Amino acid sequence: MVPITARFQAESALHPAARALLLEIFDQGWAEPRKLHLESRRAAILLQEAKESIAADLDLSPTEVHFLGEITLGFQLGIMGLIQPETRMVHSSIDRAEVLAIASQFPSSVEMEVSNSGVVALPELRPSDLLIWQYVNAETGLIRTMPIELVEFSGRVFVDHTAYPTQAPAIASWSSALWDSSSWSGPNGLSIFALRTGAKGWRNPFPHLQQSVVPSGFSLPLALASAVALRHWRSDEEVNKTKITKLATRIRAFISENIPDTDMIEEQWNSWSAIVSLSFLYIDAERLQSDLADEGFTVDSGSACTSANLEASHVLKAMGLLSQGNIRLRLHHDVTATEIDVFLPVLKRLVEKQRQ
Amino acid sequence: MSGEIVDARGKRCPLPIIELAQALKIINIGESLTLLSDDPATVADLTAWARMTRNEVEQEGDFEFLVTRLN
Repeated sequence: MVPITARFQAESALHPAARALLLEIFDQGWAEPRKLHLESRRAAILLQEAKESIAADLDLSPTEVHFLGEITLGFQLGIMGLIQPETRMVHSSIDRAEVLAIASQFPSSVEMEVSNSGVVALPELRPSDLLIWQYVNAETGLIRTMPIELVEFSGRVFVDHTAYPTQAPAIASWSSALWDSSSWSGPNGLSIFALRTGAKGWRNPFPHLQQSVVPSGFSLPLALASAVALRHWRSDEEVNKTKITKLATRIRAFISENIPDTDMIEEQWNSWSAIVSLSFLYIDAERLQSDLADEGFTVDSGSACTSANLEASHVLKAMGLLSQGNIRLRLHHDVTATEIDVFLPVLKRLVEKQRQ
Repeated sequence: MSGEIVDARGKRCPLPIIELAQALKIINIGESLTLLSDDPATVADLTAWARMTRNEVEQEGDFEFLVTRLN
């Protein structure tokens, strides 16, 4: 086994504070919060505290916060719960696969195209439309700020915050929104689903007895650990934001000068610098990934040339970006300048070796 | 005009585009060749390749592309 020099893959280890708490809470938070026993009441208090903490960090009201286990369920509840017979679902070509899967079930859905400069082509919206708005794209880091004309949109809006824990949606009339606990180094297998107070027309789209209630199958310890991780993530993000932006700029500058024929998102785009997507012409991404792993670096890839993906990333394809030879670096809070300085010459050498 | 054909059918990315780039070096600027490729990833990547290398690609059939060397 090669020792890991630096991790640039999307997944990160649980925040140490969340991990410590998790071990403790599995002893305390096992009871069913809705029952009346002493342990249950204690569990109910812990759950309420976690809700309040998460609500404060995401700029929501505690009553708007719901915990869910499976993230796919969050997309289905959030989107399908807002669809009525006359609804037209408007989404973009770079939305997550879960969104595209739902759209494929509704023949009237409209797909917004996204150009390789990150511009979204907005159709003429009707008040009966359901708009799906992905705030940050996990594969390219593209940030899609709400166009000014949408701020006044009176239809329904589902906001996908799963790539990055942004605070409550910028659009005043959002209806439902989804966050992924792992995006703030919280536990996997937990998502935060929000229904805005006063939002119209959401109902549980799945078989149910009480139509207004969100299904609540989740692990209480995971929810509590997630709240702690989010609190830490927020302050870590404040501290490390500038460092990460500088390092991302350093990577781009190095690539522009040293590795020709590389397709990357241009810096002037509004993008989240913690995600750097690089596509090298004439390169087999799977080989590059494993060569990098041999040198102790872990990276992700959106290429079809890797065995993990039978098809190239639909995001890169939809934006007209090169998908072959694609690697994706995620700069986590603990990334160091030294790691980047060690990594870049290795990357250059491996790309050159393969291009010979 | 060059009637050259690069047959990369059955080959997976990034091979078809590597073979295309090699064949392009042999023809003159302004000349064209035909690329045959049935790899779906390659088909999507040809547009990005043309943009990055400032050459021209035109799709002529399901798996057939006319590539013109522009530089």
